[in-house]
Amino acid sequence: MKAFVIDVGICNGCYACQIACKDEHVGNDWTPYAKPQPDTGQFWMRLTEHIRGTVPKVKMHYIPILCQHCREAPCIKSCPINAIYRRDDGIVIIDPQKCTGCKSCVDSCPYDAIFFNEDLNIAQKCTGCTHLLDSGEWKVPRCVDVCPTEAIKFGEEEELKDLIAKAEVLKPERGCKPRVYYLRIPKKFIAGTVYDPVEKEVVIGAKCTLTDSKGRSRTATTDGFGDFWFEGLEVGTYNLKIEAKGFATKTFEKLNTEKDINLGDIPLSR
Amino acid sequence: MASAKTQKVDVRPDKTVIRALALGGLLGGGGECAVDVKDGKIVRIRPFHYDWKYDPESFRPWKVTRNGKTYRPLFKSVPGPYSLAYKKRAYSPNRIKYPLIRVDWDPNGERNPQNRGKSKYRRISWDEATTIIANEIRRIHKQYGPLAIMVQGDGHGECKTINTPHGHSGRLFDMMGGFTQQVRNPDSWEGWYWGSKHVWGQGIQGMMDPSANLLKDIVENADMILFWGCDPERTPWAFDGQMASRLCYWWSEIGIKSVYICPDLNYGAAVHADKWIPVLPNTDAALQLAIIYVWLTEGTYKKDYVATHAVGMDKVADYVLGKEDGIPKTPEWASKKCGVPEWTIKALAREWAKKTTSIAHYFGGSYVRGPFSHEPGRLEVILLGMQGLGGPGVHQWQITYTGMPRAEGLRSTRFFNPQLSERLTKPVATTIRAWGKQLIPKTWIQQAIENPPLTFYGSGAIEIPTEDQFVKYTYPIDKEKGGTEIHMIWTDTPCRLTCWNHGNWTVEAFRNPKIECVVAQHPWLENDCLLADIILPSNTTFEVEDIVTNVRQGVNFHSIAIMEQAIHPIGESKSDYEVVLEVAKKLGLGEKFSENKTTYDLQKQVFDDMEIHHLISWEEFYNKKYFVFPTAKDWENDPPGFRKFYEDPKKNPLKTPSGLLEFSSERLAKHFPDDKERPPIPKWIEKSETHDERISSERAKMFPLLLMSNHGRWRTHAQGDDISWTREVPTCKVLGKDGYKYEPVWINPVDAEKRGIKDGDIVKVFNERGIVLCGARVWERVRPGVAYVDHGARYDPIIPGWVDRGGAINTIAPYGVSSRNAVGQATSGYLVDVQKVTEKDYEEWRKMDPEAFDAAFKRPYDPASGLRFDAWVVDEDCVESIGKEAK
Repeated sequence: MKAFVIDVGICNGCYACQIACKDEHVGNDWTPYAKPQPDTGQFWMRLTEHIRGTVPKVKMHYIPILCQHCREAPCIKSCPINAIYRRDDGIVIIDPQKCTGCKSCVDSCPYDAIFFNEDLNIAQKCTGCTHLLDSGEWKVPRCVDVCPTEAIKFGEEEELKDLIAKAEVLKPERGCKPRVYYLRIPKKFIAGTVYDPVEKEVVIGAKCTLTDSKGRSRTATTDGFGDFWFEGLEVGTYNLKIEAKGFATKTFEKLNTEKDINLGDIPLSR
Repeated sequence: MASAKTQKVDVRPDKTVIRALALGGLLGGGGECAVDVKDGKIVRIRPFHYDWKYDPESFRPWKVTRNGKTYRPLFKSVPGPYSLAYKKRAYSPNRIKYPLIRVDWDPNGERNPQNRGKSKYRRISWDEATTIIANEIRRIHKQYGPLAIMVQGDGHGECKTINTPHGHSGRLFDMMGGFTQQVRNPDSWEGWYWGSKHVWGQGIQGMMDPSANLLKDIVENADMILFWGCDPERTPWAFDGQMASRLCYWWSEIGIKSVYICPDLNYGAAVHADKWIPVLPNTDAALQLAIIYVWLTEGTYKKDYVATHAVGMDKVADYVLGKEDGIPKTPEWASKKCGVPEWTIKALAREWAKKTTSIAHYFGGSYVRGPFSHEPGRLEVILLGMQGLGGPGVHQWQITYTGMPRAEGLRSTRFFNPQLSERLTKPVATTIRAWGKQLIPKTWIQQAIENPPLTFYGSGAIEIPTEDQFVKYTYPIDKEKGGTEIHMIWTDTPCRLTCWNHGNWTVEAFRNPKIECVVAQHPWLENDCLLADIILPSNTTFEVEDIVTNVRQGVNFHSIAIMEQAIHPIGESKSDYEVVLEVAKKLGLGEKFSENKTTYDLQKQVFDDMEIHHLISWEEFYNKKYFVFPTAKDWENDPPGFRKFYEDPKKNPLKTPSGLLEFSSERLAKHFPDDKERPPIPKWIEKSETHDERISSERAKMFPLLLMSNHGRWRTHAQGDDISWTREVPTCKVLGKDGYKYEPVWINPVDAEKRGIKDGDIVKVFNERGIVLCGARVWERVRPGVAYVDHGARYDPIIPGWVDRGGAINTIAPYGVSSRNAVGQATSGYLVDVQKVTEKDYEEWRKMDPEAFDAAFKRPYDPASGLRFDAWVVDEDCVESIGKEAK
């Protein structure tokens, strides 16, 4: 069975995947795999942008989203005329010759990965570039070939199993069992810069202790820029304590990581 | 289901051709792609796999290692997204399909120069167009002399060799007694060119050179890399691809710290930064001086090295410590100017002194393109010098563009490929050298037209020795030598008004009646084309048979490739070479110009010029269509950067008068004793006779934000603004509520809130020099106090010379050049304000020029790809057919 593994940790946001998908499918007719994609507005491979934090503690990541080629694909179930099918290699295809344009599948997809082509009156989505794979000339889809950092990997699930073991899927609660796996999707952060307002110096080596609502703690030490970073945090409420020799301890209570938190430049008093 | 399972499609192309689809142009290649063609159409563009016809072991792949981890180049290219989308440019609705003439320009009657940028065009035949041009050339030559014709090789173009853009017309006029040359200034290197050169000698446009073998040395020795105004996730796309991105991820993996110093969370900082230090635009000099202050007062610089390798430390120290002017350049002093907290400045200075540090660039954006950019350019070299420049891991590095492992059999990796012979390089020389009989720096075209005579120091030519900066030039030159003002302009690949300084003034200057004829050649009807009287359609790289030498570094492997014709020319377009040949024929110079050489002859000439017969025969190369250079066996022994100078400065002097790093320049002192803007030692210049663009200015009361401008991520300068697929990216364009896709202006939520601006609003970015409409991107990717707009969006005038809807931000950049004796461009770090566009604004603009205003809003426009050819052409037939072709 074929699977995609996408390492968000090395996605640089270049959009080559989104564009190569258009290059392959806009203006090219690959029936019976897919009819042409409209020039704009459809993203069979869609990059999403995520900006976290505030100046100057800002981080970004991008998540490429495509048809998740689910084992329990809601689109297959939603199609009243069985125009959507799963191939023997696991790739899910909307048959462009059978589709009658009822749009049920578009609404059924939790990943917004199915698009409706008004001109052709059909639903369309990622085909895994199976027209290329079946030709024997190609081993990977276009988005994989163009990815400059090899963040998007494609292959047999069996060959990718070590990566899959560390990966997560999107919206697992929907129970679709996707065959697109994601590595290193960032969680939340709490960060700041600790400084001495009298000497106008950063405080290096301050011990920062972060405690979650269950009383579990982790520590970080401010670096040469006076910065501390707690990354990979679950959404929740945290208390933070900053201790440095010669300074009064500073605490922050009930920090909520619904959004990433930059505490800014934090003065310590003596 | 059954049908789909049994049917297959034939995905094989009729042919696959090779292209270099980076957009650096100027002969150097990059962005190698394989282009699949079927039924005369481009089916797909994909990365080029070097091992297509060769065993990859024959490339002798290199590797670098640290902490047990290894980096290796891929066996395929990693082109940027617009290279992969480039077929959209061939079939763009903005392609010029036929020769055009401005409707109200009559060479035998009224020329209506005042309507340039306003009037439309009508179709004419090649025969008519070339006849008119040939007659105009003869007339101008007779009336004023040959130097009355100016050649603008102009800015940026595709990677072609035989059919390169940038100035075949120069070669033609050279055969006819000469021409006036627009000398292209080093637009992406200004601060280093006009500054650093005076500290460490010539360099590559002022950037560090020698610059061999830096990758290995930095990988093995550096602890920290300062990305100072550098965005490795943007500019490399324009010249070779995305290897820099891979390296940046790998550096994080091996524990090298990445510190980004820039006003914006640029695309590199967004994914690679361990630390982002948001500095206010064009205030880096203050930050740099404060770092020197910390090092001087704490004694944390390499004093022994400075004593033996540099001159002028004492003078710099006197200035920095306040002995010269009574103002110590403390972190507190700097903080108020550059917006970085005092404690962070100190921390940066100490981290730098403690850790082995290199500075990374990939051409200069905002950082080296502001007023007085030579000052940060020079200070950067002093800072590196104070930490032992040339020692292990201490370099300035144009990441991947220099310092990569050396290839066997490749004699030069300079961007313009100096290995090629004159016939092939001459057109490009029209852009990068100063070989015209009469010269005008590109930054001063408008001055030359409006306010002659001019005197200036240094031609500004990209490839010229430092000494040129002390040569006094005049325009016009002496009458006895043929000097005359210009009366005709031939522009090739034009983009001056969107990529150079104060474009609104360009519009005004081109409307001067003394400019009697403007000829433009270009594939797309955009930017300065709209100021032309006759437009000749040139074609894209896909439509020509050519050859490319991928010599620029940053590709995974260097190569040379035959570029077979992919598709037939669109409309009546001709190659950039053929366009000029057609005019040459009308002048009776056809054979002299072509030398009766075929494309095949010239492809062979390129192969011969490269002198690689010992590596591959012409026959085998021509048959395989490409050749990959192997890595040199002994590349690891190449001395890294300034290492030899570091080890023995006496035996290995720099190209400065003293042979040492000149922290203080005697030459500047001697030639420009009264220059307060570029004094012998670099300084902080608050304001001057040339520029008043600081937040301390009176003007800042009206225009309180500092405009920052960089190279676009989704274009190479002005190239690629019409690609519908990149225009869907949120950082490429902002869809306004009126259905127009605006160029984004980034502003911080703090500044946006004060002005009632929301993300997606149509806003005006403005100062006394004009108004540019943009789409607001309100977010945390830019620090407060800054408005950030990339240069190069296509000009779409509402009122030509005053209000632009296309987002061509450089139309409102300063009048002045870098400083009085440095004719670089100042296109970033200047004062503006940003406000919402109101109905009252529109009413006011309409009152100013109802005709132009109404035309602007009635012109056909396509949000997907933007501006359209048919918007400016009054010819129903050609409008219809181009629409079909585009689909």
